[in-house]
Amino acid sequence: MLVRFWGTRGSLPVAQKANVIQAKIADALVAAGGRTFADVSEADAFARANLDFATYGAYGGATSCVEIEGADGAFVVCDMGSGLREFGIDSFRRIAEGHPPVYHLFLSHLHWDHIMGFPFFGPAFNPAATIVIHSGHADAETALRRQQEEISFPVPFEWLKAKFQFVVHKPGETFDAAGLTVSMVAQYHSHDSYGYRFEKTGRAVVYSTDSEHKLHNMDAEVVFERFFGAADLVICDTMYSLGDTLSLKQDWGHSSNIVAVDLCHSARAKRLALFHHEPTYSDADIQRMHNETIRYEELVRADRSPLEVICAYDGLEVIV
Amino acid sequence: MEWQVETTAAALVGRPIGKIDETTWEAFQVHLLAAVSQAAAASLPLVVDLSDLDYMSSRGLRVLKIAKDSAGAEAPITLAAPNDRMRQIIEISRYDMLFKVVADVASAV
Repeated sequence: MLVRFWGTRGSLPVAQKANVIQAKIADALVAAGGRTFADVSEADAFARANLDFATYGAYGGATSCVEIEGADGAFVVCDMGSGLREFGIDSFRRIAEGHPPVYHLFLSHLHWDHIMGFPFFGPAFNPAATIVIHSGHADAETALRRQQEEISFPVPFEWLKAKFQFVVHKPGETFDAAGLTVSMVAQYHSHDSYGYRFEKTGRAVVYSTDSEHKLHNMDAEVVFERFFGAADLVICDTMYSLGDTLSLKQDWGHSSNIVAVDLCHSARAKRLALFHHEPTYSDADIQRMHNETIRYEELVRADRSPLEVICAYDGLEVIV
Repeated sequence: MEWQVETTAAALVGRPIGKIDETTWEAFQVHLLAAVSQAAAASLPLVVDLSDLDYMSSRGLRVLKIAKDSAGAEAPITLAAPNDRMRQIIEISRYDMLFKVVADVASAV
């Protein structure tokens, strides 16, 4: 399988302002220290070797949308955040190269940041496309139709040309979607949310976002330890610090970087992707959180195998 | 994880020994909540002496927050003498924003 991140930001899309880009360029020039480069590729090689990601990169600002490649003849995508628009455009390119116009879209929940990309999802206008929307919510179709109503958007759902199918699943059931074995877990979040586990040929990817692990219900985390069990990649809501989730942001429905590490440690998962980044965080803030999470994993690892901690960004591809 | 408790004239001092993780957090919670009650009954502040603690994961940190909530705003809990590993964990978790953290027990009272 290959996991491709189209949107990794939580709650609200964000964009870089000019002063942020200017600061990155200035930092790069200082790091170059007056060097000259024969061409762009030489400059690129220098920058990659000498600059951190927050300077020579960006975590991106599109909201939740993660593609999982590896299904049989279908696109598989988790959530329809603003990253879905760019995925939809890219899927047209791949369809032109022979990929079937079949989409399996999995919804963690129906909050705006997780469905806001749908009105801009080009394949919805393709009469040859089949779009299967999987959810744990019986009102998923209502949420998408309501978003298209005239008060919010000029294109009603009835104008869409693709063939739609809404499938509601129950937590605990295992089902097949285009050759992937999929299971679902209920999560604590306003109006509920659901995590998904995708398995194929002995590999497992878990998508668990917008999931708060409650202070007074730590016993319940055994469910997540099993759900994450030995997964090759766990994509986890790590929006806040633990201190934040237990004070000002308690009951906001989100988790912390260090609870994610502990769950993955208990589950013997192999790799954790930090995800659903706080929209007020700068690239430097997210990079600092990433470095701190790597350090925390080392501090509490004990005799376990190392858990690799990566930080998702828009455009990241991970081979599983 | 072992637990020792000592009452001085100025504070009730609880001392976890070893590590607090997914295998030991429940015992830590029992001991710590009992110490919260004991400190309240004696009208003493509670100090958690971390000097003999190797480390605690988020399970232990969350028990600290449960204890803090149980003690209430009138009975603050102070964390004392963390080793370097625990000091880093406290900083990474932003628990230094939730708790007073001091270098040694004497500084806590």
